[in-house]
Amino acid sequence: MDIADISLWRLALGLGFVLAIGVTSIVHHLGLVRDLAIGSVRTVVQLFALGYVLKYIFHLDSVWLVLGVFCVMTAFAAQIARARVGERQISLFWPLAVSMVISYSLTSILVTGVVVGASPWWKPQYFIPLAGMVIGNSMNAIAVALDRMVSDLRKQRAEVELKLCLGADFKEASRGIVREAMRAGMIPSINSMMAAGVVFIPGMMTGQILAGLDPLVAIRYQIVVMLMLVGSSGLGTLMVIVLVRRRCFGPGQQLLIRPRRQG
Amino acid sequence: MVADPVIAFDRVTFGFEPGTPLVEDLSLDLASGTFYLVSGPSGVGKSTLLRLINRLEEPTAGEIRFGGRPLGAYAPPRLRRSILSVQQTPIAIDATVRDNLLLPFGFAANGDLDRPDDAALERRLGDVLLEDVTLDAHAQTLSVGQLQRLCILRGLLLEPEVMLLDEPTSALDADSREAVLALIARIFADTGVTTVMVSHQDRCPATVEPVVLRLRDRRVVVEA
Repeated sequence: MDIADISLWRLALGLGFVLAIGVTSIVHHLGLVRDLAIGSVRTVVQLFALGYVLKYIFHLDSVWLVLGVFCVMTAFAAQIARARVGERQISLFWPLAVSMVISYSLTSILVTGVVVGASPWWKPQYFIPLAGMVIGNSMNAIAVALDRMVSDLRKQRAEVELKLCLGADFKEASRGIVREAMRAGMIPSINSMMAAGVVFIPGMMTGQILAGLDPLVAIRYQIVVMLMLVGSSGLGTLMVIVLVRRRCFGPGQQLLIRPRRQG
Repeated sequence: MVADPVIAFDRVTFGFEPGTPLVEDLSLDLASGTFYLVSGPSGVGKSTLLRLINRLEEPTAGEIRFGGRPLGAYAPPRLRRSILSVQQTPIAIDATVRDNLLLPFGFAANGDLDRPDDAALERRLGDVLLEDVTLDAHAQTLSVGQLQRLCILRGLLLEPEVMLLDEPTSALDADSREAVLALIARIFADTGVTTVMVSHQDRCPATVEPVVLRLRDRRVVVEA
């Protein structure tokens, strides 16, 4: 493909913009210089590292390495989602890890192996970037939904217990809360389907067009990716909500989530 | 000892924090058809005692029995329908009076109960001195006192064997307090339902002779 390569010198030119912002910050005392410098260095270092790692993985072309990378990415995602919810009374890591592994591997394998038709299905050039997008996006959906459910169970404790006291099982007592949590998790990916191509040109497609791919091919990839993201977000969110909800109630179907300070 | 107690605590220990139990090694029999008044200073664990009876809390040691069988032998929804708890602050769902009264009938475990029709609901509203309230009124338009009577009625529709009342009058003004206490006394007189009522100020319906359960030093002292 006739892709314009960016030489290191031209890459350095890109730094010129950041330097200009840095000077502005100093002149106007914006206090951004330190973060700006760290951010720029981290971007360059991390992406260079990623480039070499990907090159190495593509070169080795090993199914175990690909699956290993997939597991590490998923474990990080589970850890990040758990930290974001910040729930201490209910342990979240295993429900998160299990639902993420199942929903992410299902969507990633389906998309690379069946829809894109990569052969073998784990071909790193396809599997790793697509899995990365799946994980990055649905991690957000899962964290948002989970955070919403746990905090609503805590806030609406009196209403949940009222229903339990009137003979509801734990599913009936938490039905409305689960519905709201699922909606909160899914709405961003549904919104981005609504806006795709009208409000913004999706990132992956932009990259492919810049890399010289026919826009009509690029949109097909993008459509697959958008649908895949909604699918994996929905599946992952549903699984994690169902698993964690059970853990929020004890064997007597009593609500275990307590107010922050026990009275 | 009570013959055939409806509720029996058998060496029950419970605490939220390990090492600081609210009740310890508690054995207590509650007789059917009796009105119990749980009393004691605030924070001593009166509400917790009620929550243990309908399994909103689990003992850390010991066993609680209902009708001779451990609480764990019952499906939790059926247990809570038979041992009905009315909360301290009346809680209504954001809907009409009718929807609030029929709320429990939408739960699977209550599927065997006959769903009362409007005429029956209106008659029952009259029983709890809410004859001025229409079924289509939004529950949020009721006063707190009316709401508490609505909540008690909602529980009664499930025909419980035991009623747990957690300071049912503490959120109310003096007038509605008297009305609710009178209602509780009448329900007890009419149905003879075993009643366990928590009261901070030992507030009890004047017409009822309660057995007082005084909670103190992680034990319960029974004062007939």
